[in-house]
Amino acid sequence: MQTFAYLRPSTLAEAVALLEAHAPDARLLAGGTDLIIGLRDGSERPRVVIDVKRVPELCCGIRDDGGTVTIGATTIMADLATSALVRRHFPALAEAAAAVGSAQIRNRATLAGNICNASPAADTAPPLLVYGAVVLAAGQHGARRIPISEFFVNPGVNALARDELVVAIELPVPAVRVGAAHVRRTRRRGHDLASVTLCAGVDETGVTRLAYGSVGPRPVLKIDESGVLADPAASGAARAAVFDKLFAEASPSPRSMRAGPAYRLAMLRVLGSRAVQTAIERLGEERTNG
Amino acid sequence: MNAARIGDSPNRVGGRERVTGQQMYVADIRLPGTLQAKLVTLDCARARIISIDKTAAENLPGVSLVMTAADLPQPVPRFGPQFEDRPVLAVGETKYHGDPVAIVAAETAEIAAEAARLVRVEYEELSAVYTLAAALAPDAPLVQDPSLRPKDPLAGTNVLREHRVGWGDVDSEAADVVIDNRYSFPIVTHFAIEPHSFMAAPEGDGVAVWSSIQHPYWLQKILAKILRLPLARVRVVAPDPGGGFGGKQHTKYEPIVAFAALRADRPVRLILSLEESFQAARRAACEVHVRTGVRADGKIAFQDIEADYLIGAYADIADRVVSKGSYPGAGPYNVPAVRIVARSVLSHTLPSTAFRGFGNPQVNWAVESNLDEAARAVGLDRLELRLRNLARKGDAFIPFDTACDGDWQQTVRRAAEMIGWGQPLPAGHGRGLAVGIKSGPTTGHSYSTVRLLADGSVLVYAGTSDMGQGARTIFAQIAAQELGAPLDWVTVVMGDTALVPYDQQTSASRSTVLMGNAILRACRSIQEQLRRMASELHSVPEDQIVVENGIVRLPDQELTVIQVLKAGLGRMGGELIGNGESRKDAEPDHPLQGSAAFFEFNCTAVEATVDEGTGDITIVRHVAVSDVGKALNPLQVRMQDEGAAIQGLGHTLMEHYIFDDKGRVRNLGAIDYRIPTSMDLPLEMESDLVENGDGPGPYGSKGMSEGALLCVAPAVAAAVREASGAVIRDLPLTPERVWRALQERDGKEV
Repeated sequence: MQTFAYLRPSTLAEAVALLEAHAPDARLLAGGTDLIIGLRDGSERPRVVIDVKRVPELCCGIRDDGGTVTIGATTIMADLATSALVRRHFPALAEAAAAVGSAQIRNRATLAGNICNASPAADTAPPLLVYGAVVLAAGQHGARRIPISEFFVNPGVNALARDELVVAIELPVPAVRVGAAHVRRTRRRGHDLASVTLCAGVDETGVTRLAYGSVGPRPVLKIDESGVLADPAASGAARAAVFDKLFAEASPSPRSMRAGPAYRLAMLRVLGSRAVQTAIERLGEERTNG
Repeated sequence: MNAARIGDSPNRVGGRERVTGQQMYVADIRLPGTLQAKLVTLDCARARIISIDKTAAENLPGVSLVMTAADLPQPVPRFGPQFEDRPVLAVGETKYHGDPVAIVAAETAEIAAEAARLVRVEYEELSAVYTLAAALAPDAPLVQDPSLRPKDPLAGTNVLREHRVGWGDVDSEAADVVIDNRYSFPIVTHFAIEPHSFMAAPEGDGVAVWSSIQHPYWLQKILAKILRLPLARVRVVAPDPGGGFGGKQHTKYEPIVAFAALRADRPVRLILSLEESFQAARRAACEVHVRTGVRADGKIAFQDIEADYLIGAYADIADRVVSKGSYPGAGPYNVPAVRIVARSVLSHTLPSTAFRGFGNPQVNWAVESNLDEAARAVGLDRLELRLRNLARKGDAFIPFDTACDGDWQQTVRRAAEMIGWGQPLPAGHGRGLAVGIKSGPTTGHSYSTVRLLADGSVLVYAGTSDMGQGARTIFAQIAAQELGAPLDWVTVVMGDTALVPYDQQTSASRSTVLMGNAILRACRSIQEQLRRMASELHSVPEDQIVVENGIVRLPDQELTVIQVLKAGLGRMGGELIGNGESRKDAEPDHPLQGSAAFFEFNCTAVEATVDEGTGDITIVRHVAVSDVGKALNPLQVRMQDEGAAIQGLGHTLMEHYIFDDKGRVRNLGAIDYRIPTSMDLPLEMESDLVENGDGPGPYGSKGMSEGALLCVAPAVAAAVREASGAVIRDLPLTPERVWRALQERDGKEV
């Protein structure tokens, strides 16, 4: 491990200033579950590590701002998975958070870190896409909001400018009833990195939002407004045609050692139809409960 | 006071220390002034070393030493348990990804790591072979310098050795059905929780070496030869390893660490990372071509087996794995004609070595799977076919070896009963059953000293390594049983060649039998001394006194060992010392230079179901039954069987190395080399034991610790096939592979 300076700002302004001063040789440290691995194996060799865990603006937890649930950048996966607020309005996000790593990892890893790492396989990306999350970023020139669908650029590359960091992730509480499910494909049942991640959200108007990852350079969101997927009575052929369209963009890498492209493409369809089916069932439960 | 005896399951001796972090592993031992070492390796498999510039590394503050092959005695010493082919550091050429070209020793591990990065190696990458096909191609580059085996006709090829064994005439034995298939078994690694760890320090005119090794005495012999020191000046300290599974049997980096310590005149330690351990030891991959001839009545007519094992760049013990692992390849059946041709094939990959099962699981996977197909072909139940052919006690099923030494029918019937063989199955479920056999040790030599101290407490000295298999507990139980001491009054001393007498090795599930017998004999020697003492004390002829189970029986009274001991030693005190030896000599004309001390025999039965969409296998129930002769500690025996079964599920379901086109292990480390977690285990797992007291060890015990791993794969694959129709002959049975087999079943192109 190369030696590096460890800096711990105590305000957002200080954090932004440090980032501006030291980028691109600086890396932000929140949970560290990606960064520490990189530091240890030598793939990350920053001169400066900026620990943002003590920045008060980032650790505001999960709060309901009336119509928007705001998740502070340093909120950990374990809190996300168990939050009553998240489980009520965004259950598939809680499901995804619970699938990340192991219990030890979930006690350190943050939601913001998961998206900033910009792995195509990020577990929380598909539900954030389905729920229409917005990333609140701050930098030298102030704050801005980035729709999550524009946040992921390429593996390891996100839409933040070099002096920007994520302050919070905002999730609009759905105006209509939604049933959603997050599913993933791994090599084993115990904790593992996913070779396909997928989230389906079916709302009561018949719109299905489908997001998937790990089958291309970035997780993507597709929307079926035809009502076919949301309709349990739709024919297999009709559903297959919609899936063909929604998954047309998937281009799994042939170099992956986690699964071959043919298997990944096939699993998109298997996972897609299972997730949609679960989402429809959950929407039904929502109706009953609501 | 713990009165546990043979057949009880007391708490593991040393178990509390292990689970509370009190146990001192090699990495926990700190000597003052110790330097931290790091190996320098190249980012490819095979390369010609053009030059090595140590300047930048040596100039880094805190660096004490940078050594390359040029800094070693010339020619650079080579070592190995079977062939002396492995140089202390790479000479001229690296042979595999991870082959060290230099060692750096510094004040801290961080400095050592940084210095290792600063060692500038100019090298030219050379063409290399990583697969059996490439290694066996006519124009393949040679892995081993042919001058290392000058008179060997195979020296111009990558075949290190070819082993032929058999009986009868395969080509003329009549069969009604011949099942002809090819199977493959992947490279897997031991994944012991404790990575390989080494430390060396100058000591007097010699050297002391600490290692996580399973065979301290074998290491002592190799170090003494390389360092040109008498055995008595090479002290090997081998603290209980944190898991071994065969991966810690043989010498690895102890020689270079010893050279570094002697040169620096300071202690040097090298603690491998998990990734480096992955590059230090692994199991041989194998491709097996098997033709099984079966008659209409279900009798096996012949087994014709060709097994090519992909071993590494240096032989380690791999060729012995090949010969001994393929040898009982026809299984525990009476087969009139058998032909087995096994080859150890060198490649530019990390050295393969011993691994629980020792070469047997590879061939067992093929042969047991083929038997299932044979049963289908002749329309016979798969269990019935096995029972019709299974050797019975006393059968010379391998004509020139130890006869069948157990009631194997009993084991198989018990497993079948436990899995509910023949009972109706839920839709989509399938069952599989397979048997496994392994030759126990073919030679062995163990000494033990037992000291009965003046207060009746006991010291047992044994050169065995307890890497978690529980040898300390078994040995303590034997001494407690024989000398009447409470279990917690028995201390077992291990792992230091300056303290404990010679033991050949801890391998092949031998220690209960071989070291156990040595300890038993040492205890019996003390019993003899007690008999003499009692005879003198009570003026009773020795032949009228019986000493057993801690009791001294005189014609008119019974005394405890302590009563006789205290009276006999008197005011001067003292102790009684017993020595025991147990050996199994080599048989030079035997194909393995020795017949089996015993056979490990296991039957595994599995019920499984398959997710038709994803190819996921769920093992609903897993049953393992082993013939152990006598369970000295039933709980430990079950833990061994269940642990072996789970390790077997690893290579069956998910474990395998993946190499890139430069021969680098792509899935180096825990992130992409997956082993089963508790969530991946069978929904139910059950083990059972067959105990007929017919083993050669103490109290009729047999060695056991590998049996329940041997035949996991064929049992699971058979269940998957019955559940889904998916036919798979390549391990592991990953969801993707099952899914592909399902597509093939349905005639779909993938």
